[in-house]
Amino acid sequence: MFFNLCQWLFDSELGTSIRESTFVFPLIETTHVLAIALLVGTVAILDLRLWGVVLKGERVTTVARQLLPLTWAGFSVVFSSGLLLFIAEAAKLYANPAFRLKLLFLILVGLNPLVFHFTVYRDVDHWDAAVVTPPRARLAGGLSLALWAGIIVAGRAIAYYH
Amino acid sequence: MPSNIRSLMFITGFLVVGPLLAHHSFSAEFDGSKPIELKGVVRRIEWANPHVYFYIEVKTAQGKIENWGCETGGPGSLLRQGWKRDSLKVGDAVTVNGYRAKDGSKLADARLVTLPDGRRVWGGTPGDGGPGDPAKRGGN
Repeated sequence: MFFNLCQWLFDSELGTSIRESTFVFPLIETTHVLAIALLVGTVAILDLRLWGVVLKGERVTTVARQLLPLTWAGFSVVFSSGLLLFIAEAAKLYANPAFRLKLLFLILVGLNPLVFHFTVYRDVDHWDAAVVTPPRARLAGGLSLALWAGIIVAGRAIAYYH
Repeated sequence: MPSNIRSLMFITGFLVVGPLLAHHSFSAEFDGSKPIELKGVVRRIEWANPHVYFYIEVKTAQGKIENWGCETGGPGSLLRQGWKRDSLKVGDAVTVNGYRAKDGSKLADARLVTLPDGRRVWGGTPGDGGPGDPAKRGGN
């Protein structure tokens, strides 16, 4: 069923015109990569703050508040450009093991901050100024760094599978 | 600059620039020690990113019909090397000089394609590192 959806997207006018374009496809690819830098770069700064590696003198909430708009801006561009690339190649990506792994990592990397916000972040007031934050906060930061790295590697690896 | 920062910059640069130069390098999929010449009739063309594919029907010495996939660079790369979107048409007889896929399947990297009008066009992407790579010929 999912494959039929992928094939339909692949055959759609939008998917076909992007796939067969001369410049649009590489431009979307380039945009995707640049937006990854903005998204994952700002996420990494917060993750490293949780570990007490950078911005040690700043409150966690201050760092989070300043970065979040940039993170969301990066996310919206990365998501829309990624969706267009997916539509253009959907029928081929469906069975691609690297793409499937990337999707799995994306689900996990989305759940991670949800859990973080509804658990340890609720009493951020207690550790807002701490250089090294509580283990559960550091776990969330570590998972985020590892998963985003995995997403980028898996995304790049898509090209090496048929 | 500390060496760990320099290596981080190198790796980041590789991750970012790699996909823009070529979708994947020649050696990711093909074996430079297995040249092959295919003469056949074009049966299907996929003018698409990130690689253009065309499929040819080849008659072997034993008279058997084989279907071969031929991979080239993307549309942008081909256009820069003198291809046009309609350079190949279904039914055209072509000669492909390329290299076999590492996995042994009937897939070849089409380095040089002799079109029906006799023009010989390069099918690789400059910078893909494969045999005869124009970027390498420049002395890189």
